[in-house]
Order: sequence, then structure tokens, then C-alpha cells
Amino acid sequence: MALELREDTGTLSGAVTVEEVEELVAWLRRTPGARLSLHNCNHLHTAAFQALLAFAPKVTAAPVDGFLAVRLLPVLDPPNAAVPEGGHHDDRDAG
Amino acid sequence: MNPLLAQFLAEAGDLLDQVGDGLLRLELDPGDAARVNEVFRAAHTLKGSSGLFEFPELTSLTHAAEDLLDAVRAGRVPLDSAMTDDLLATFDLIRGWLAHVTVEERLPGGADADAAALIERLRAPIGGQAADMPAGRTAGVARHAPDWVAHLGARVVAELADWLDTTSATMRFVRYLPDEGCFFRGEDPLLFVRQVPALEHLAVLRPDAWPAPDDYDEYACLLGFVLATRAAAGELEYVFRYIAEQVEIVELDAAALRSPAAAPVPAGTGPASHADADALAVLEAALRTLEPHDEDGPPGGGPSATHLGSVAHAAAAAARALGAPVELDPADAAGMRASIRSLLERARTAGGEPGPAATAADRRTGEPDRRAADADPGQVGSRVLKIDQAKVDRLMELVGELNVAKNGLTFLAEAAEEEYGSRALSRRIKDQYAGLHRIAEELQSAVMDVRMLPLSVSFSRFPRLVRDLSRRLGKRIKLVTEGEDTMADKDVIEALADPLVHLVRNSLDHGIEPPEERTAAGKPAQASITLSAVADGDAVIVEVADDGRGIDPARVRQRAYERGLIDEEELETLGDADAVNLIFQPGFSTAEQVSDLSGRGVGMDAVRASVERLGGAVTMRSEPDAGTVTRLRLPLSMAVTQVMVVSVAGQRFGVPVDLVVETVRVPRAGLAQVQHQDVVVLRDEVVPVVDLAGTLGMPWQPDPAADHAVLVVNVSDSKAGLLVEHFHREVDVILKPMEGLLRDAGQFVGTALLGDGLVLLVLNLKEVLSLGARAA
Amino acid sequence: MTGVTGPSDAGCVLVVDDAATVRMYHSRLLAGAGFHVEQAANGLEAVESALVRPFDLYIVDVNMPKMDGYACVRALRGETVTTTAPIVMISTEDRPGDAERAYRAGANLYLVKPVDAERLVRVATMLAGPPAGARER
Repeated sequence: MALELREDTGTLSGAVTVEEVEELVAWLRRTPGARLSLHNCNHLHTAAFQALLAFAPKVTAAPVDGFLAVRLLPVLDPPNAAVPEGGHHDDRDAG
Repeated sequence: MNPLLAQFLAEAGDLLDQVGDGLLRLELDPGDAARVNEVFRAAHTLKGSSGLFEFPELTSLTHAAEDLLDAVRAGRVPLDSAMTDDLLATFDLIRGWLAHVTVEERLPGGADADAAALIERLRAPIGGQAADMPAGRTAGVARHAPDWVAHLGARVVAELADWLDTTSATMRFVRYLPDEGCFFRGEDPLLFVRQVPALEHLAVLRPDAWPAPDDYDEYACLLGFVLATRAAAGELEYVFRYIAEQVEIVELDAAALRSPAAAPVPAGTGPASHADADALAVLEAALRTLEPHDEDGPPGGGPSATHLGSVAHAAAAAARALGAPVELDPADAAGMRASIRSLLERARTAGGEPGPAATAADRRTGEPDRRAADADPGQVGSRVLKIDQAKVDRLMELVGELNVAKNGLTFLAEAAEEEYGSRALSRRIKDQYAGLHRIAEELQSAVMDVRMLPLSVSFSRFPRLVRDLSRRLGKRIKLVTEGEDTMADKDVIEALADPLVHLVRNSLDHGIEPPEERTAAGKPAQASITLSAVADGDAVIVEVADDGRGIDPARVRQRAYERGLIDEEELETLGDADAVNLIFQPGFSTAEQVSDLSGRGVGMDAVRASVERLGGAVTMRSEPDAGTVTRLRLPLSMAVTQVMVVSVAGQRFGVPVDLVVETVRVPRAGLAQVQHQDVVVLRDEVVPVVDLAGTLGMPWQPDPAADHAVLVVNVSDSKAGLLVEHFHREVDVILKPMEGLLRDAGQFVGTALLGDGLVLLVLNLKEVLSLGARAA
Repeated sequence: MTGVTGPSDAGCVLVVDDAATVRMYHSRLLAGAGFHVEQAANGLEAVESALVRPFDLYIVDVNMPKMDGYACVRALRGETVTTTAPIVMISTEDRPGDAERAYRAGANLYLVKPVDAERLVRVATMLAGPPAGARER
């Protein structure tokens, strides 16, 4: 549904509500080097957004939703565009 | 449609009602300060919300109305009738505009022209021009940008400053600090941020250090937001209206952006002093507990041993926290009091600021006024639901279908016995039916209850109507309403609307004399019209009464005779009371002669027809020079009718159960003839009998050898018999009015679907009986 | 919801409030600070829980159905339970005399909602935190 969380990659789609946050955070906690696609995500509950900020997973696909892409993505992933899914990239430093 | 707009339209409807109602009451009692305030606030809210959308004409118009109301509220200008007229006209216009917006999502063309005239009139009493005060807490442009604006980033701030300089404009800046616990209140800060129109920049405030992953609390909101937006302060206030205390809004120009305020020195509130404040609060509480009080203390006057023990424990803990541990003996209240007092004194003189007083009202440091007294209208969670009428109608339909399906079980039980020979099964089905029936009845009651509305819904338009009409006609009229809390089915309420308006207009136009005529006749110059409602069993009685001219029965008789509605004999013999009711006859009055004679006439037959279509009755009582009372009697609920089923030649007909007196079987010999009319003698009473088949033109003859089935009914206070073929059981049906070709066939009031799928025609007994009588 | 168990000498706190959300919120705060937290939805449940095990601290909401906060506190202090453990009352009201009423009933502190998270933890730690000496019942 909204969360598809696999071994170390995941996809957030549709609206991620407060109900999904607990599961998301649990996954982030146990998944160092987590990579998330936000491509089909059209809303992040603040708690979800905050969790992404705190755990800083790698964003592999930018959201198509305007508000998320323009306002929140730059905060999540400062330097630049997300690396397309499937591409080869280094894991982020932890923290 | 933009959900914010939809919400505004919904809220606006209520606000407009409030304003209208308030204005009318104010006119009667201009000194009512609370009322002025109410109306002002509603107008103010309307204005604030309207700023959110691209409706500048709406904003200017409401602004003008608000300024006028403000002046009235402040006592600068007394409210007179002309002003009330203008204000009412203003809000009428706004109502019309919003109706247009609901469909077209924009104001109608020419709105500004319409508004201009009104604005001029509204502003005239307060000296003309609008004070161009932007609404909202900003109260103008700040001199310095608050320090938090810097979070947007030096580059962004510089760019914005340049832009504002070039355009000589201002922008709004918002700092939104959600409470840590806001998620538990169902708040999603990002949702609010998304709703901010014309957002130019957004900065997300993060904690300096995130908690370690294991300590991370996913439900604690640690983020804040700083926004730069071109939206108006009023729009922003609207977006954040339920969380206003978490938001700070400022308006800045280029100069302010370029000169940030000196960062405010935080009041030395480090963790140490917080803890001290807590400890002191506990000590204060302990002291107050120990002080002797004269009022209703616990019995035995003073804290119990247990209580004292807890005081000792808590105070000792507090003392430890202050770094001044102390021995406290719960058995020695006086000693404890002294120790605690000295502890407090020492702490205060030593540490300076003792912290908040003992009531420990907790406030987050640095935040401005917390929730205002009337906070959280959205939070409180209304106990009342607004429901779409269509949904209630659907519920009623379903109840009807449930009833029909449930009734099907009785037929099934019969079939079990007759066709399948199983009595036992039949009995079990009947048991099941009984259970279902109970539930269905309750469900029906409950749904009908939902459909019940107070009569005040019908009455509510009349204060305005009476006021406007009476001003136009130059008459002085007071409207009195009684029993507006009486409840009736919403369909009845709806159906009452037109007839009531008719009746009230008639009273106003024709019944009530001009003031001079009244005083000449020794009556008070101010006439009164009374609308009253009272429940009477399963009916509701609504009366429209006036103390006007009344109706002259002689003239009515004469007129009826002239129009061929009565003959000479009736002209002589018809009583006054009955004469008055002739007014309801179709053809009594034509459009041309509206006012002179009885003063009534146009539409009265329509009123009667509508009321009777609802299963009700209307009568009139009048006394010349004293006034007239029109009485409408309507069933409380139209939804479900209990009918007795009869059949002739296989076709089933329904007769409303309250009209049925009894069923009798009469041998052929029992039927006699009086003046070509069949009659039957029942317990010394001669009851005329009408052949249903014959009246309806059905080819059927009763079997001469068998007994005849006669349904004895009571219609318009007289008994009559209906000759039918078979009697059947009573059923509850949902009456559907006649449609199509049969609609004007007066013999039927409607149709209903029976449990076995056959259609029942419900008879209009009055009509059937009179048809039958004529045929005789 | 029973509490999260903290360190073995953690204080036991009973959170009494008829609003589930508030109960959860206060419970999580205190559990996060290392307390063992239990919940009660009204005064009656609170008294029942208190009879089963003694708590080191009670956090009691004032406005509750069946048995309001004041009655609950009186019952806790009274013959039914007779606990001398600290009781903190929390209320939405801040009218003169409300605090007095709370103290007379037996509370040791009166806080007004919304209670600052840190403050609640501080107060709880002060009143029922890891003890420096023997813990009274």
C-alpha cells in the first residue's frame, strides 16, 4: 500500500499518513543505508517527513507531487536531484 | 472545487443566517449590546474569510458593512431602520453572490457595480472612506524582521528584500511552531503549510541534534516552519485559525527585511531554574494544603494522616531537588508548615525570580498568549451532524423497503401453511416476523425521528417577510410565533411552506387594516399576526391568526351565490361558520377581484388542495372586525401510513386505518334503499353504502346469495359504508403519491408496494364517497 | 495498554485520564523517561489498580466521567487505598480556587493543560524518580 518496505529499499506511494509512521521508523531503525523511492508519493504526514529527516535515507526517486518536490525534497536531499532507481551509488555515511 | 472554498461556502451560509437574524432582532431592540457584537463578529469573520479567495468585491462590501457595524457597536452611530435595510440588503446580495459562486466559482458579473451603491450607503453614516487597515494581528508593517526570518537563508532574504524594494510591496512571513504533541490532536502541520496560498519560500526548522535512533520518538513533532508568502494576513489567519497560538505572522517590507531586530535576550530559563520552579510549586502546594482553612475542608477539619504523609513525602522530594534536604514529620503539621515556609523564603531570596505562582499554570517559555477563551471550534467536535436531505430520504426509502420485505413474511407464513401444509413452519415464520417487526418499527421510528424538524424551520422566514411587506404596505404589524419547537416530519414542514406564505400574505395584504383605519375603529394601531403550532395526537395544528378586519359571512354567501357555488336555499340557510369556509372553494375568487370583498380568495383553494394532498385539513374562523384564524391540521408524519386492505375483482385497495370504523358482513336482505341510495342499518344508525366497484367503473357484481362485505368508515364526521369483495389485513405502507395520468384522478391518494409485489391503490375516501353518492 | 518496563528500580506511575490520546501521550512521555506506566480511564479503574499494586506517583485528570478527578484523589487518600504517594492533578481549568480544591482533595501539585512534556517528566522525576532513600508506600 503506502509503504512497500523490502530488504534495504523501499517505496512510499500515495499519502503516507500518521498510521504508517511507526512501521516506517521501525524499518529505518533497522536498515542502515536505506534507500527510498518517493516517486508516487503525494503526501507525507509531518511525522513521516520528520522521520526521513532524522534517519536520512537515500532518496532514489523524486516525488512527482509538486509541493513535495519543490518544497520538501530539497530539505531531504540537499545537493541535487535524486539518483534514478537502480543506479549505482555509494551508501551515505550514517547519521 | 477547492476544498477551502467549499468549506468557506458552508460556513458562510451559517454566518449569513446569524447576521440576518441578529439584524432583525436588533431592529426591535437596538440597545442589545451582545447582539450587536454577535452580528459584528459574524460580519468580521465573513470579511476575513473572504480575503482568502479572489473576491475583492466581496471583501470591500463586507468591509463596509463591518465598519458600519463597528461604529454601531462602539456607540458612535445609532442603528436606525434605514441602516438595517441597507445591511439586510448587503447580506442578501452577498447571499446571492455566494449562490453564484457555488455553481460558477466566481462572483457574478456586475458585482462591483451592485456593491458600489450599497457601499456608499453603508459608509454614509460613518463619514465615507474605508480605513485601509489590513486585518489581522500584523497591524501594519513591522519595523524590524524578527530573528527567525533569518532561517530562510541570507540569500533568500536578500533576494526578497530586493524584490520588495523594486515593487514597493510587502510580504507576509510566518513562523509556525507546532506543539510537540500536535500529532495526538490529529494535526498534520505539513497539511496546513500546503494550504498556504502563494507560498514563496519554505524553511524547515530542525532540532540541532536528532535523538539517537533508539530514543527517537516518532510521534513527537520536533520540526518548525518559516514561510514567506504573498498571501494576505487575513488569508493566513484563516488557514491557521484552529492553531493560531502556534503561529506568528508578520508583514515586512524591504526595509524591515534589511534590518533584523536584535535577538531578544532569553529570560534566564535554563534547565536548572525550570526544576527549581517545579520544586517551589510543590512546596507552595504543600503550604496551602497545610494552612488551616475555614471553608468546607474534609471532615475532621484538616488533612488526614495519609494526606499529611503525602505532603511530607512530596515536600521532602522538592526540598531535595532544591539542594536543601529537610526532615519532615507527617505527624507534626505545624512543624512541617514552618519548615516549608522557611524553605520557600530562602529559595525566593536566593534565586530571585521564584517562577510561576503555585497554581502552576504551565506555559511554554517565550510563546505569546495561548489558546484564547473560545479556542478550537474545530477541535471540540460538534455533537450535531449536518446531514444531506437526500441521505435521510434514502434512509426512509430503505425503511420502506424493509417494511415491505418484512411484510412479505406474513404472506410466506400463509403459503407455508396453505401451499406446503406445514403449520409448524408457518408458526416459526410468524415468530421470526414478530421479531423483525419490532426491530423494523424501532428503526422506522428512529429514522422518522431524524426526519423530524421543528416548526421553527417553517416559521423562520416570516419575521423578514412580515417586516418587509409591512414596511412596503405602510402597515404596522407585530409577528408573534408560538410553539415553534413543535416537531413534524420534514416533508410536512416543507409542504407547509407555500400555504403558510400564502396565508400570511393574505393577512398582511387584505386582513390587516392600515393604522389609521385601526385607530378609527378603536383598535391598537399595531396589528398582530400570530403563527402557532401545537401537537395534537398524531397530527400537528398550525394556525395563522390576525386581529384584522375579519370576514363578513354575508358577503361571502352572496358572492358564492353569484358564482353559482351555492343555490338559493343555501344562501338562506348556510351558517356563518360554514359560509366562511366557502372561501376555499375553487372558483370563489378570480385574479381581478383581489382585495375588496372578503379580502381573501386568490390561492385559498390551492392552499386547501395542498393541505389535503398531505392528508390534512384546513378551516377558517372569523369574526368581523376582530380577526381571522386559519387552522391547518396536518399529520405529524407523512412517511408511513397504516392501511386496511380490501379487494374487488382481484384489485387491492387501501383505506387509511384511522378512517376505518369496522368491517361488517351484511346479508343481501340487510341492504335497503333510501332515495335510490343503498343503505344499511347498523345498530339503529342508517349508513349509506357506496359500491366501490361501481364507483370506480369496475365490472363486478356482488354475489346475491352471499353476505356482502361492507367496510364502515368515518369521513368528515359522517359514517359511510364501502361495499367491497374481500377484506384483508392491515399493513404499513410507504405512500407514493400518484404520478402520471392518474395524478388528477381524485379517487386515489397514492400507491404502495405490497409484500408480495402487487400494487395497492390507496383510496381518497372523501372523493370516492362523494362520487358514489352522486352516482346514486 | 500496560507500560513499557524501564530499569528495574523504575518508579511506577498510574496515568488516569478518560481521553485515550492524552493517556497515551503522557504514558509515552513517562515511559520514555524510564518509568513503568499503567493507565486507567476513570477514577474507578484507578482505585482498582491502586488496590492491586501500590504506585509511586499518580497523574490524575480532573474532568472524568463516573468519578471525577477530585473524588478519585480523595478515594486514593482515603480509607480505600490510603496511599501517601504523590498525586499530580491535571486540569483544563485555571480558575481561582481550582488548585485549592485539588490540594484539599489530597493532590500535591496542580498543573494546567496542555502540560509541557519536559515539565511532566521533570516533576515526575522529582516526585517519584530513582529514590535517594527509602521509597514510601
